[in-house]
Amino acid sequence: MRARIEQLLRRTLHGLVLATAVFSPLVIAQESVVVGAPLPLTGPLSPEGTKLQRGYDLWVEEVNKAGGITVGSKKLPVKIVYYDYQSNTPKAVQLAEKLVTDDKVDFLFSPFGSGATKAASAVSEKYGIPTLAPTASSVEVYDRGYKNLFGTFTPNDSLTEPLADLVKADAKEVKRVAILSRNDLYPLALGQDFEKSAKKRGIEVVYFDKYPIGALDHASAITQLRATKPDWIVITGYINDLILIRKQLGDQKVKPAVLTMINGPVYQEFVDATGALSNNVTTATWWHPAARYTSEDLFKSSENYTSLFKTKYKDDPDFTNATGSAVGVLLQLAIERAGTIDRDKVRAALVAGNFKTFFGPLSFSPEGYANSYVPPIIQVQNGKSVVLYPKDIKNADFRLGLD
Amino acid sequence: MLSLQILINGILLGGLYSCIAVGFSLVWGVLNIINILHGSMMILGAYTAFFAYSQLGIHPFAFIPIAGVVLFIFGYGLQAGIINRVMGAPVLITLTLTFGLNLMLDNAMLVAFKADYRKVTLDPPLGILELGSLLIPIDRLYAMLLALVLVGCLYAILRATKIGRAIVAVRMDRDAAALMGVEVKQIYAVTFATGAFMAGAAGCLMSVIFPISPLTSNAFLGKAFVICVLGGLGSMPGVMIGGILLGLLESFGTLWLGPDFSTTIAFVVLLTLLMFRPTGLLGKRGFE
Amino acid sequence: MSKLVRSKLIGFVTALVFLAVFLLFPWFANNYLLRLGTTMLMYSALALSWNFIGGFAGYPSFATAAFFGLGAYAGGILQNKGIPAPLAWLSAGLLVLIFAVVVGRMILHLKGHYFAIASLVIADVLREVINGMTDLTGGGMGLNLAALKMGVTQQAQFFYFSMLTVAGFALITTLLLDRSRLGFGLRCIEQNEDAAVRIGINTAHFKTAAFVLSSTFVGMAGAVYASWTGYIDPGEAFEVLISVKPIVMTLLGGAGTALGPVYGAFLFLVLEETVWRNFLNIHSGVLGLLVVLLILFLPRGILQASLWSALGRLGLRMIEVIRRQRPQS
Repeated sequence: MRARIEQLLRRTLHGLVLATAVFSPLVIAQESVVVGAPLPLTGPLSPEGTKLQRGYDLWVEEVNKAGGITVGSKKLPVKIVYYDYQSNTPKAVQLAEKLVTDDKVDFLFSPFGSGATKAASAVSEKYGIPTLAPTASSVEVYDRGYKNLFGTFTPNDSLTEPLADLVKADAKEVKRVAILSRNDLYPLALGQDFEKSAKKRGIEVVYFDKYPIGALDHASAITQLRATKPDWIVITGYINDLILIRKQLGDQKVKPAVLTMINGPVYQEFVDATGALSNNVTTATWWHPAARYTSEDLFKSSENYTSLFKTKYKDDPDFTNATGSAVGVLLQLAIERAGTIDRDKVRAALVAGNFKTFFGPLSFSPEGYANSYVPPIIQVQNGKSVVLYPKDIKNADFRLGLD
Repeated sequence: MLSLQILINGILLGGLYSCIAVGFSLVWGVLNIINILHGSMMILGAYTAFFAYSQLGIHPFAFIPIAGVVLFIFGYGLQAGIINRVMGAPVLITLTLTFGLNLMLDNAMLVAFKADYRKVTLDPPLGILELGSLLIPIDRLYAMLLALVLVGCLYAILRATKIGRAIVAVRMDRDAAALMGVEVKQIYAVTFATGAFMAGAAGCLMSVIFPISPLTSNAFLGKAFVICVLGGLGSMPGVMIGGILLGLLESFGTLWLGPDFSTTIAFVVLLTLLMFRPTGLLGKRGFE
Repeated sequence: MSKLVRSKLIGFVTALVFLAVFLLFPWFANNYLLRLGTTMLMYSALALSWNFIGGFAGYPSFATAAFFGLGAYAGGILQNKGIPAPLAWLSAGLLVLIFAVVVGRMILHLKGHYFAIASLVIADVLREVINGMTDLTGGGMGLNLAALKMGVTQQAQFFYFSMLTVAGFALITTLLLDRSRLGFGLRCIEQNEDAAVRIGINTAHFKTAAFVLSSTFVGMAGAVYASWTGYIDPGEAFEVLISVKPIVMTLLGGAGTALGPVYGAFLFLVLEETVWRNFLNIHSGVLGLLVVLLILFLPRGILQASLWSALGRLGLRMIEVIRRQRPQS
C-alpha cells in the first residue's frame, strides 16, 4: 500500500515536470486596457491587500458596466491582472517585472506600502511604464528622480502639520510630546515628521523611540514613556501594534490630554478590538466617508462612491479601499484626456494633473506625490469616527483627555 | 519607582510566556519533537474563545477548559494519525513535518477567519490592581496564575497518576516501557494532545490580552524556544523559571538598550546558552 | 561494449546534453522562463549547499537563511559603495565563509535538536542586528540597490549566467566532495559520529569544513539575489523559509547524493509555480501538504541511485521513447 502511494507520488511529480514544457503566461483577449496589480493577498499585509483589491474591483466593475474606458473614439474594457506577492517585497518587485514583460500590461498599480512601492518603482522606471501608487506617502519613496511614479497620498507631513496645528490651537496646555514608532519605513518616517512638526511649534519632544517589528510587549517602553510625563502621545505602527499599545497604555493608566495613533483608529477593526479604550483617540487619514468632493470621474462624488461601495460590500469604505478605487479613476481620467493608451501621452496627462476625483483633487509634485488636497483629521468619539478638520467637512469638536 | 514597575512588568510578562511555553516544553521534552504547530494551536484556541464570547457570551476564563478539550482532540488526532508515523526519526524529519502541518493549519485558519485582528474586550474590563504607585493589569495576573496552575497540574500528573508515570517511562526508555505493557503509541498521542490542551488554554487567555490573527502564530513560538532552552527541557519548574527570566530580560533590556533591542536579547541569550549550557538551568539531561 | 559501460556512457552523454541546455537556455527562452531558470539555479545552489552539512554530514542545519541574508546585505552594501557587482558577490561569499568559521566553532559541538535550534536562531540575531544598524543597512526601511547599467534582456541573461556560475561552483564542489576523503569522512560522521572519531577522523575539522562549504555559495547567491531584485529588507532576507525550502528540496531529490538537490530544486520550483498560479488563496497550505506527503511517503527522496546510473536510466528512457516512434523493423 505504502509502496503504491510512493509510486503514485513519484509518477505525479514526474508528470508535472513534463507538463511544465507546456507552460505559458496568461493570454489576455486583445483590445482591452490591462493593468498589473501585485498585491499582498497572503502574509502579514493581507488585510491591507484585500482592502486595496476591493477598491480596484469596484472600479473595474463600474467602468466595465459603462462599456469601458473611452480611448479616443472607442471604449475599451479594463482587465486587472493580480498576483499575490505574499507580503514579501522582493517578490513584489519580481512580480511587477513579470507583469510588464510577460503579461504585457499597459500600466501598473504599485504594491502595498511605502517600502514595496519604492522597490517596485525601479521596475517601472526601467520599462518606462506609468505606475500609480495607491499607498505610498513617505517622500523617501519619491526621492530617486523617477518619472513614472504617481501617488495618491500626500506626504507624511500633511498629516503631522495639521494635527500639530490643531493641538497648538485647541489644546494649549500641551507642552510635552512623546513619540513611539514602529521601526519600519512608513511608521518611522511619520514619527520623524511628527518630531519636526512638534518642535516647530515649540512643543518639547521628551521621548522618541522605536519598537521592533513583531514586538509582543510594550509595557516597559510605556513605563519609560510615562515617566517623561507627556501631555501628548503619538504612536505609529500597523493596526495590531496599535491595538496592543492602546491596551497597554490603559494597563498603566497613561492618560494624556491628546493621544494620536496613526493609522489604525480609522478602521472599524480597531474600535472593535479596543472597545471603550478607543474613545477620543485622534488619527489622520487621506480620505474619509464624510468627505464631500464632487468629481468628474465615474463616481461623480464622494457620497456616491460611499453608497456604491456600501451596496457592493455592505461596509463603509475606508481610506485604503478608496485609494484603490482612486488610482483606477485617476488612470481612467488620464487615458481619457490623452485619448490613447500610449504610455508617453498618458504619462504627460498625469504630469499635467488637475484631476477632480471623488478622492479629492489630484495634482502631483515634480517627484510624483500628490500635493493637492488636505487630508482630514479624525477622532473616535463613542465608537464612531468624526472629522475634526478641514473646516468644510468638519462634523464634531475636538475632545481632550481620555476616560 | 521606575525599576520596580519594570520588574513587575517583567514578572507578569514572564508568567504569560510560561503559559505559552508549557505545552511546547512537554512535547519537546517527552516526545523529542519540536512542535512548530504550537503557536498556531494557541491561535486556534484563541479563536474558539473569541467566537464563544462574541457569539455565545461565554466568558473566556470559563471557556478555558473547553478550548483545551477542543485542542486536545485535535492534537490527539494529529499525533495518532500523522506524527506517530515518524516517531524516532531524526529531528530533521519531525521538524520539517510539523513545519508542513503548521503551514496547512495557518492557511486553513486564514481562509476560515480572515486575517483581521480580533480581540476579546471584556465588558466590564478586568481592571488594574494598584499597589502604591505600581500598576498590575489583572488580566496578566490571571495569565500568571494560569501558568502556575497548568505547570503545577502537569507536574502532579507526571508524578502521581498512572498515565503520567507511563509518559515518563516512555520518555526514559521506550522499549522497556513497551515491555512493561505500556501502549507506547497511545502514550505518544496523549502526550501530544496534552501539549495541545495547554496551547488551547493559553490561547484562550491570550485572546483577552493580545490582538490575534493567524499571522501572529510564529511570534509566540520564538519565545517558547528560548524558554525551553533557558529553563531546561524535561523540567516543568524550568518552564516557569525560564519564562520569568525571559520576561525580566526583555523588560530590563528595554530599559537599558531601548525597545528596539528587547527582542534581540532573547535570541542572544539563547545562543549563548546553547553554546555553553544547552541543558539550561534546570534541565536534567541533554537531548540528542 | 558491456552493459555497464554502455549505461555509463549514455549517462555521460545525457549529462553533456543537460549542460548544453543550461548554457544555451537564454537564447530560446522568453523572459518569464529566464526568470524561472534563474530562480531554479538559485534554489539549486542553496540546496546543494545545504546538502554538504545536512546530507553528507547529517547535521540538521537551519542556518541557510542567515548565510543568505548576510551575503545579500554584504553584497548590497559593497555594491552601493561603488564596487562592481561580481567583485561584491565574491567578497560577500568570502565574508560569509569567515562568518561560518566563527559560528561553526560556536555551535558545531551541539547535536541534534540543539544544533538545529542554534542554527535557526542565528538568522534571527543577524536580522535584529542589521535592523538596528540603520545608517549602514537602511534598517527596517530596506536597502535599495542601484540598477545595473544594461538593457533589460541583457540584465536577465547576465543574472541567469551569474546564478549558473554560483550553482555550477556548488555542483562541482559536490562532485569533488563525493569522491574525496572529506566526503567519505562526512558520511562516516553521519552514520555514527562516535565510531568516526574512533577510526581517526578529525570530526571537528570535517564538520567545520562541511558547515563552511554550506555557507559560501549561499552567501554568493544571496548577493546575486540582492542585485537581481534591487531591494532587500531584514524581514525577507532572513526569512525562515529560506532555510526550510532547500531542506525540502534536498529531501525531495535525495539527501547525500550529488544530483539529488538539483533535481529536487527543479521539482520544487515546478510545484511552487503550479500551485501558486492556480491556488492563489491556499498556496502556503498546499506547500505544507506537499511537505507532509514528502516526509511521510518519500523520505529518501526521488533520486536514490548514483549520479551516472540515474542519468543513464534517463537517457535510456529517452532513447526508448524515440525508438517507439519509429516503426518496428
